[in-house]
Amino acid sequence: MSAERLEAPPLVDERSRSDSLVSPLPARSDFVLDVSNFSVVYGTGEHMVRAVNDISFTLRRSAVLGVAGESGSGKSTLVYAMTRLLRAPGLISGGVVNLNTTRSGDAGEETVNLVTASEKELRKIRWSHVSIVLQSALSALNPVLRVGRDFDEVLKTHRPDMTRAQRRERAAELVSSVGLNEDRLDRFPHELSGGQRQRIMIALALALDPELVIMDEPTTALDVVTQREIMNELQDLRARFDFAMIFITHDLSLLVEIADEIVVMYAGSIVERARANELYEAPRHPYTLGLLNSFPPMHGQRRELTGIPGSPPDLADLPTGCKFHSRCPYAMTRCRDEEPPLTSLGDSERSVACWLHVGGPGVSVPVELSRDATTKDRAHANGERP
Amino acid sequence: MSETLNQPTSTPVQLSARHLTRHFTTRIPGRFMKAKHVVRAVDDVSLDLVAGHVTAVVGESGSGKSVLARMLARIVKPTSGELDLEGTPIAVGARRTLDYASKVQLVLQDPFASNNPVHHVRHSLERALLLHGATKGTVDELARAALTRVSLEPPDRFLDSYPHELSGGQLQRVSIARALCVRPSVLLADEPISMLDVSVRLGVLNLLKGLCDNEQLALLYITHDIASARYLADETIVMYAGQIVERSISTALVDEPTHPYTQLLIASVPNPADPTSQAREKAEHTTFAVADVGCRFAPRCPYAMDVCRTSDPPDFTVGEGHTSRCWLHASEPEAVSEVAPPERRREGETTKT
Repeated sequence: MSAERLEAPPLVDERSRSDSLVSPLPARSDFVLDVSNFSVVYGTGEHMVRAVNDISFTLRRSAVLGVAGESGSGKSTLVYAMTRLLRAPGLISGGVVNLNTTRSGDAGEETVNLVTASEKELRKIRWSHVSIVLQSALSALNPVLRVGRDFDEVLKTHRPDMTRAQRRERAAELVSSVGLNEDRLDRFPHELSGGQRQRIMIALALALDPELVIMDEPTTALDVVTQREIMNELQDLRARFDFAMIFITHDLSLLVEIADEIVVMYAGSIVERARANELYEAPRHPYTLGLLNSFPPMHGQRRELTGIPGSPPDLADLPTGCKFHSRCPYAMTRCRDEEPPLTSLGDSERSVACWLHVGGPGVSVPVELSRDATTKDRAHANGERP
Repeated sequence: MSETLNQPTSTPVQLSARHLTRHFTTRIPGRFMKAKHVVRAVDDVSLDLVAGHVTAVVGESGSGKSVLARMLARIVKPTSGELDLEGTPIAVGARRTLDYASKVQLVLQDPFASNNPVHHVRHSLERALLLHGATKGTVDELARAALTRVSLEPPDRFLDSYPHELSGGQLQRVSIARALCVRPSVLLADEPISMLDVSVRLGVLNLLKGLCDNEQLALLYITHDIASARYLADETIVMYAGQIVERSISTALVDEPTHPYTQLLIASVPNPADPTSQAREKAEHTTFAVADVGCRFAPRCPYAMDVCRTSDPPDFTVGEGHTSRCWLHASEPEAVSEVAPPERRREGETTKT
């Protein structure tokens, strides 16, 4: 889409790229976040709801991980729990979230397990290492403070040595980096448009130069034109500040544009994980295919599309076996009884949780789920799928 | 239907709006009781809703599309303009009659907000039916029939549910059933899918399309998603700052947009199949830059000429049933001498600014 995007190094080259940095420590690991077997539940006892189920992934430095899923798929719960922002009755029931807090100039390597970190440790990590941009900027910004105060308070807390003038200068620098005028700092949130507020949120998230920024549906409440501007802005910012990003949205086509790697969540579990363009061109899970088919194309012949039948599952009353089987056109007997594990397909870059792909020799994979990612035929570019 | 004598029977116009205008007067902050500011929310909009046809209105938030729907439903009184229901002129200044309400129904965006959370689905449906003249003995039957029409089957499962027990998609179907149970001839759907989960959106769109085709409903589909307008609607109208800037057959409008605003809208849609086609509108535009004189889009328009800043463009016909409110399409040569009209965009091409 943009020049920055093209220059961003592909995932496979990440390791060699960090090695070539001026770092004196070649052993320095290239991940910023490593999540393994992470689970979250709401409530206890018989009313317990499993919102996030045994999720593992690794986010490399400067990479963008897209998390796609519908409401109730656990995507927001996942990031709130990961950053320990989740409040009761939400409860982390297991897993490890290792955050690499090593700065580029630091000697040695330091990782923190966010799940076991104390409040004191968390306070140090939050904002300076991990920051978050929420969906509703209007409710995230304090309505009775001028937005400049938000910047001032962050810097005052985390950089106590900065003078008032320095803080103001840094705030001005930040808002101009997201394409806003400096005088916006003296405005109240209600005086700004939705897009401007979201830009302020992004600038705030970058205030302390974090390694990881989490975006929870940052553009869902915005217009398509404003969304496009914010997305372009994000690409520019990533090229400048080089942060890793977890981008959550239900809009898969938006994710394909910005993310390097995408995980698709359904009912609290990862059902498919792949590089963005591979996921788009050659989806492997029936749910992913259904999601991709749910967006009417902008080109080509008008045809009837079907979307996904049924409705998203109730987490309190999940079906047995594969949680998608009741909505899946390819469901087999096995899908009703056994839950498919997330299995990698050939290379380690992609994995899918579906019996069609790991069911053994007796199962034939439908052609639309076994397409080759490299053959990009014309019908496909037109948004048409068999 | 009997009054539509002048209309050919194949395309009876159910609801026709002429020069609908709604201005809101706001006080300028700080100048108490003195300066007034007029927001031209909808300005001189004319459209026909035809039985069996879907008309889409596309625009960003603040473009006046919802005010237009509310005027057509007569919840908001127009500042000026005329409405014609099935050929009969409507006194727009008067209160809405029950008869009008039974002919023109509105479905709102958020099904969780538009369904009363403390009442059963049965209550919502039966109340509407009773108000519109159904008898106690028949309401149950009619309510079941209404739910069956929107594919909520078996109806018994849903009649005694509370809104919180249903998913967004199911609840939006209840809203549609509630609107349809009084047998309207016109359905106004104000962003009916934007609050729904991605996987159930198409189901609701297909339901609306089916109702239109099978029951000859005239449907106004309001959306900000131009791809869904292309999918569902026969005709698409693009609004900017209260005015219709472009209208055409849906596929023609999306495939060959002629107004710079439509081009910007289309280029902004995420399109992973063709990542080169993305617009890069730079710099901070006030979300709603509206010129007081001349073309309202001129402050944001990459092709803006002198004439755009001084006089408001009329509708130019650029194709069959395709009009564009832009000076670039004026036939007078002096008006277009400075900038060539933007090439009609073919798929995959980039609009270079």
